[in-house]
Amino acid sequence: MRAQLRAELFKLRSTRTSLGLFAAMTGLVLLAVVLHSLLPAEALADRDNQLTILGRGEFLGALFAALLGALSVTAEIRHGTIRPTFLVTPRRSRVVWAKVTACVLTGAGLGLVAGAVAAAVGLLALRARGIDLRLDGGDEVLLVAGSVAAAAALWAAIGVGVGALVRHQVPAVVGICAWLLFVEGLLVGDLVGLGEVFKFLPGAAAAAISGQEPGTLLAPAVGLALLAVYAAAAAMVGALATARRDVG
Amino acid sequence: MTHRVDQPGVPVPSKDGARDPVVTVRSLTKRFGEVVAVDDLTFSLRPGTVTGFLGPNGAGKTTTLRLLLGLAEPTAGEALVFGRRYRELDHPAGRVGAVLESSDLHPGRSGRDHLRALALAAQIPPGRVEEVLVLVELQAAAKRRVRTYSLGMRQRLALAGALLGDPELLILDEPANGLDPAGVHWLRRFLRRFAEQGRTVLVSSHMLAEAAQTVDQVVIINRGRLVAAGTLGELTEQGRSLEDTFLRLTGAAS
Repeated sequence: MRAQLRAELFKLRSTRTSLGLFAAMTGLVLLAVVLHSLLPAEALADRDNQLTILGRGEFLGALFAALLGALSVTAEIRHGTIRPTFLVTPRRSRVVWAKVTACVLTGAGLGLVAGAVAAAVGLLALRARGIDLRLDGGDEVLLVAGSVAAAAALWAAIGVGVGALVRHQVPAVVGICAWLLFVEGLLVGDLVGLGEVFKFLPGAAAAAISGQEPGTLLAPAVGLALLAVYAAAAAMVGALATARRDVG
Repeated sequence: MTHRVDQPGVPVPSKDGARDPVVTVRSLTKRFGEVVAVDDLTFSLRPGTVTGFLGPNGAGKTTTLRLLLGLAEPTAGEALVFGRRYRELDHPAGRVGAVLESSDLHPGRSGRDHLRALALAAQIPPGRVEEVLVLVELQAAAKRRVRTYSLGMRQRLALAGALLGDPELLILDEPANGLDPAGVHWLRRFLRRFAEQGRTVLVSSHMLAEAAQTVDQVVIINRGRLVAAGTLGELTEQGRSLEDTFLRLTGAAS
C-alpha cells in the first residue's frame, strides 16, 4: 500500500496537471477576493461578510481538489496507463485507496494555498480600505484557512470516487463542476419545496466547516463530520466499482 | 539507429517447478452481452517458447490476453499464468511483463517518469529504470515528454515498462505496429534471446510474414474459437506458407 501511495504521489507531480490546477485555483481565489473587497464599506464591516471573503478559498479549494481527485483516475483511463498500473498492482482497490490518500494530501495542499491566499489578500484589502477586522484576530483567521484545507482534502476523496465510478473524463469533470457551481445553488433556492435538505449536501457541508452563514448552514463540526462521511462513502463506492468492473 | 541486444544470457530457473505450463487457458469463455468474444478456448504454453497468437481482427486475441492478465473476468473457464490467476501472483511484475496497447502512456509525462511510477508501485529499485532505458535504447530521450515520441519509441517505452521486473513471461499485443524495419529486426532478435534464456513469449499478431520469422509455436483463433495450435513446422508442412494455412483455417471457420 505504501509503494502504491508513493507511486500515486509521484504520478501527481510528474505531469503538469497538478501545477495547472494550483495556478488556476490561485488565480480564481485572487479574483474572487479582490472583487469582494470592492463591496461598500458598510458591507465589508459586517462580521459574516468578512468571514465569507476570507473563506472564499473554501469553495474554490474544494472544487479544484475534487477535479484533481477525478482526474487522477480518469486521466489514467483516458491515456490507458490504468492498464500498466493494474498489471503492477492487480489488487485494484489498493490502487484506488492509494489515489484517495495521495489526492487527500495534495487536496489539503490546494486548500491550504486557497485559504492562505484568500486570508492574506482579504486582510490586506480590508486594511487598505481602513476597515477593522471583526473576527477574533489571528486565531479565527487561521481556523478559516484550516477549514478550507479540510474541506478541500475531503472533496479530493469525493473526486476520486466520482472519477472511479464515472471513468470518462469529460462527464466526471462536468458533473463535479455542475454539481458544485449550479445544482447545489438551485437547491438552496428551494424551488422544489424540499425544505432545508440542501444544507446536508456535500458542497454546503464544506462551506459549513469554516462557520459560514451560521443561521443557514450546519455547525462547523457537524459539517466536517458529514463531509467526511460523504468522502469515505465516495471512496468506498469507487474502490468497489473499480475492483468489480472489467478494465477496458 | 543501431539496435543491440544486451539482455544477460542467463537461463531463468522456474520458480514454480518445471512441470507447470507457463500459461494455461482452459475452456475460456467471455461474453459481452450477446457477443461471444472468446468461446471455449483451450491452449497452454511451455517455457522457453515464442508463441504467435494469431487471428483476424476481432478474433478475440486482445480479449484473451486481458483475461489472462486479470484485467477482465472470464464468463466461464479459466486463464492461468504459472498455475495461478494473475491477480493471485505475489509479485506480478517479476513474473509477467505485458504490453497491451502502445498508447498506454501519459503524453505529458517523460519516458523516465513513466517507468519510475511503475517501478515505485512494483518496489523495483530506480537503477533498473536506467537499465531498461538502455536496453530499449531510449536513454537519450528519457527526459522528454512522451508526446514528442514517435510510435516506435512509444512501443519501446511500453516494452521497457514490461521488462522492469525482469519477468519470465512476456505478453505482447501487436508489438510490431509502428516499428520501422530496423525496429522489427531488433524486436525479433530480442524475443529470440529472451526465449533462449528459458523464458516464454506470447505475442499476438496479424502480420503473418513477420510472425513466421519470429515464433516457433502458433495458436490461431477465429471468432473466439481455437482453429489450430502447434509448432510452426506442423502448420507449414507440405510446403504451405503460414499465410496459406491461416487463410484456409480462418476462411473455413467463417
